[in-house]
Amino acid sequence: MSLVRKLKPDRNITGALVPLSMLPIFGIATLAFGLPTGLTILAILVWGFTLYYLFVFVRTRNYPQLFTSAYSAFIGYWSFLLSTYLETSKEESQELMLAYFTCLIFFGVVLGYFVLTRKFKWRGREIFELAGESVEETGNGYTSRPRPVGKVDYSPEQIHAFARFCSRNLIALPYMTSKNITLVPIKMGEEYGRLLGFSGDYRDATWVNFDVDGEVSVHIAQKDYLDYRESLSFDQLCTSLGQVFIDFFDLYNKGEGVRVIDRMDDLRIPVLS
Amino acid sequence: MDFRTAAKYASLLSKDYAEDIFALLVNYQAISASEVAARLDLHIKTAQDFLEALAQLGVLSKEEVLEKKRPYYRYVLQQTRLLIDIDLMQVKQEPTHNSLSLRIREKENAGARFAVARNEDYITNVTIWTGEGREREERKVKLTTPQGKFLYHLPFPKAEPLSIAGIIQKAGIDESLAPEILDLVQLLEKYDVIEYLPEEPK
Repeated sequence: MSLVRKLKPDRNITGALVPLSMLPIFGIATLAFGLPTGLTILAILVWGFTLYYLFVFVRTRNYPQLFTSAYSAFIGYWSFLLSTYLETSKEESQELMLAYFTCLIFFGVVLGYFVLTRKFKWRGREIFELAGESVEETGNGYTSRPRPVGKVDYSPEQIHAFARFCSRNLIALPYMTSKNITLVPIKMGEEYGRLLGFSGDYRDATWVNFDVDGEVSVHIAQKDYLDYRESLSFDQLCTSLGQVFIDFFDLYNKGEGVRVIDRMDDLRIPVLS
Repeated sequence: MDFRTAAKYASLLSKDYAEDIFALLVNYQAISASEVAARLDLHIKTAQDFLEALAQLGVLSKEEVLEKKRPYYRYVLQQTRLLIDIDLMQVKQEPTHNSLSLRIREKENAGARFAVARNEDYITNVTIWTGEGREREERKVKLTTPQGKFLYHLPFPKAEPLSIAGIIQKAGIDESLAPEILDLVQLLEKYDVIEYLPEEPK
């Protein structure tokens, strides 16, 4: 069965560019200062990633992020160790190399598992596909105004727990205030800008807001709206996006959070998209 | 008294020399513009304009005098009390059944920018572009909380329009606040942010 996608194919390489940018920096540093210095700079860059993933873990409680942080700390440590070896011209011990490769295999296999099972994936594209799935009518009508989509009964504890669930599974990034919980879905590649605060105010992004009175409202950023192949009826799209989260909340509330993940996995969106 | 007439009175009374001219008008049986100007050391045109304006408002009467020279006017005070009485309720836009039943929604490609309140479900201001070419300028309309709530619940472009009364109800706004809502609707309609849609045929 072929799935009809509502979103345009993902050709965004920002996500890949950020880690890949380490390679030219390493190359230039090696050319300019020699391999040991190049490796030290590479180690520092990789440790930068360690801190980033640690921050993402603290923000989301997504354990694969913690694992990736440990993995990049390990890579950074070995780059640094290698640079000191090269500087002192010590011979590398076979035990050390064995330890390195076994650790590398361990980290590689576990990381591969996280990637392939989408536990490391920001689910923004899945959310937008699910929102667009039920919208057949076209006709644009974009507006920067949010749309109230309905009212849901929940206690503050329930909605907080749901927000943590969304965050833990990278479905959306929650922003909490005393009166609102705003969930911001993030597509792969856009997480750096959003998490590090380079993407501007989250209120300008696409979000679904749950307020203390149970009112649910939706805002779709123009950039995300233009990512659909067709000019879908904006009113219906907003309603549908809100409904996706309301459905997710209902499922989570019934203790069927895994069904939420299943619904997104069933879309079979590429793991790096 | 209508607002415009009251504004004319207020404008005249606010002049530095108004009290002095009225003192002359009260104490003289009739007085000409040149006499007023000479007495108060004003330019004759200033005194003339002031007296003419009062005559037009009916505070003074004027009679033409011919004394072997160019004719001129002498002014006589007709009212010894000036009462500015404006019923402000005359400018209140009383909502009618018709005005509240108008079906509206946001206009497509309105080009307006809406700023949403941080912690509440309402819009704090709308930024509209007015004019063309070099005359184009940004106009920011700050909204009251009921207006912001109303706009928050306004149907999207191409969505099913709703009556103003329906949106007021949906937004949970007190009906007594309808006049300020209508004022906003008229303003946004003027700037092509909102469109009226006819009632669907039954």
